[in-house]
Amino acid sequence: MFDETHVLDLLPAYALGSLDTDEANRVKEHLLSCWICRAESSAFQDVAEQLSFAAPVAAPSLDLKDRLFQRVQSVRPQPHVPTKAARRPWLERLLPVWGLVSLGLIIALAAFTLSLWQRLNQLEFVTAPGGMRAIPLSAADAASGATGFVIVSGDGDNGALVVDGLPPLDADRQYQLWLIRAGERTSGAVFSTDEKNYGGTRIKVAGSLLEYSAVDVTIEPAGGSHQPTGAVVLAGPLFNP
Amino acid sequence: MKSSADYARYDDEKLISLIAQLQTEALDQLYDRYNRPIFSLALMIVGDRATAEEITLDVFMRVWQKAGSYRADQGRVSTWLTHIARHHAIDVLRRRAVRPDHHALSLNEITPGVPLPAQNPGELAEHSLRRERIRAAIARLPADQRQALRLAYFGGYTQTEIAAALKQPLGTIKTRIKLALQKLRDFLRDEQEPEDKSAQALNTYNMSEED
Repeated sequence: MFDETHVLDLLPAYALGSLDTDEANRVKEHLLSCWICRAESSAFQDVAEQLSFAAPVAAPSLDLKDRLFQRVQSVRPQPHVPTKAARRPWLERLLPVWGLVSLGLIIALAAFTLSLWQRLNQLEFVTAPGGMRAIPLSAADAASGATGFVIVSGDGDNGALVVDGLPPLDADRQYQLWLIRAGERTSGAVFSTDEKNYGGTRIKVAGSLLEYSAVDVTIEPAGGSHQPTGAVVLAGPLFNP
Repeated sequence: MKSSADYARYDDEKLISLIAQLQTEALDQLYDRYNRPIFSLALMIVGDRATAEEITLDVFMRVWQKAGSYRADQGRVSTWLTHIARHHAIDVLRRRAVRPDHHALSLNEITPGVPLPAQNPGELAEHSLRRERIRAAIARLPADQRQALRLAYFGGYTQTEIAAALKQPLGTIKTRIKLALQKLRDFLRDEQEPEDKSAQALNTYNMSEED
């Protein structure tokens, strides 16, 4: 049964990206917990995609492909990142990183049991008391064996990243976390891993993490990049775009 | 060793997985498959060829660098590509703080599609089918709904901006956009069965070509 909290009337404009920010945020938040509106939203997103085919047919210059492959050669992604070293249990590895985040996050996370963490690999995300979520990330081909979690507070204002299975890089390179919204990436953190391939960092971003649809982690020059330039090593969804 | 014909047989998701393994032949094939729809969309939004070509390059560079992060469960490859292209193009418009004059055109004044050479017949047919379906559906909308839809999707305007530009109450614009997309969904759903039949015919054609 529908209730007054549904956002069905807003979904067409949401699919077109024409809602004002407040309304768009309200829809995003609602979609997190409402399968009815998610299904409707998906249908309207499909219609919006079809609109792109209404554009008049045009062809780019014949040399555009050559220009593309010149760029490809100049910005070649870094291939496979080797992995090594034994891995500690998840709970043991997470504890020091949580200390970086906040006392509140630590207290809430302490309620998680080891069995709960083991379940994370099979779930889209787990919501803890207080609304905090832990979202697993998947390894890209460039870093098979790597794993990670993004942990987001209930209000979306705080977050942390923990990774495992990512080897330490040379002094000229660091890992960088990207938050993705509407196809655009914003840097969330630049971090390194230790000799046991483990690392963690607090996520720093203006606004709420609930506004972002996905994350990925790339290898970048030390200090980070304005936009990603290196190979993706981890990626995963956050919240509904 | 794979030939170009092998890559041409792969579906989009397979190509993306091969691009993630840095196979340039797969990127080559994906470019052949989608450069025109992506360029056409970008050109429709930004209005000049040079910028539209830069956007097209950026889309395929993004694919080259981020193929490993593509997740099929979050949408089709074509959805991913058009999403990147549209948002990139609208960002360009917003940075310019002006909208191209061609946004004054009505969507139903779009010129008929012109078949272009050097494209796989199957892909040409599929793109043409999608184009004609959406155009026919748009043409059935009332003019005021087409206008609001055009400004929202191709102009990147919010409903509030559209209301201000057209000097109409915000509620009126919200209603137009809601009705427009609801009707398009219904029209396209009604067309689904004929499309399924066309797809079956196309599959039959492709199978006979392979024989």
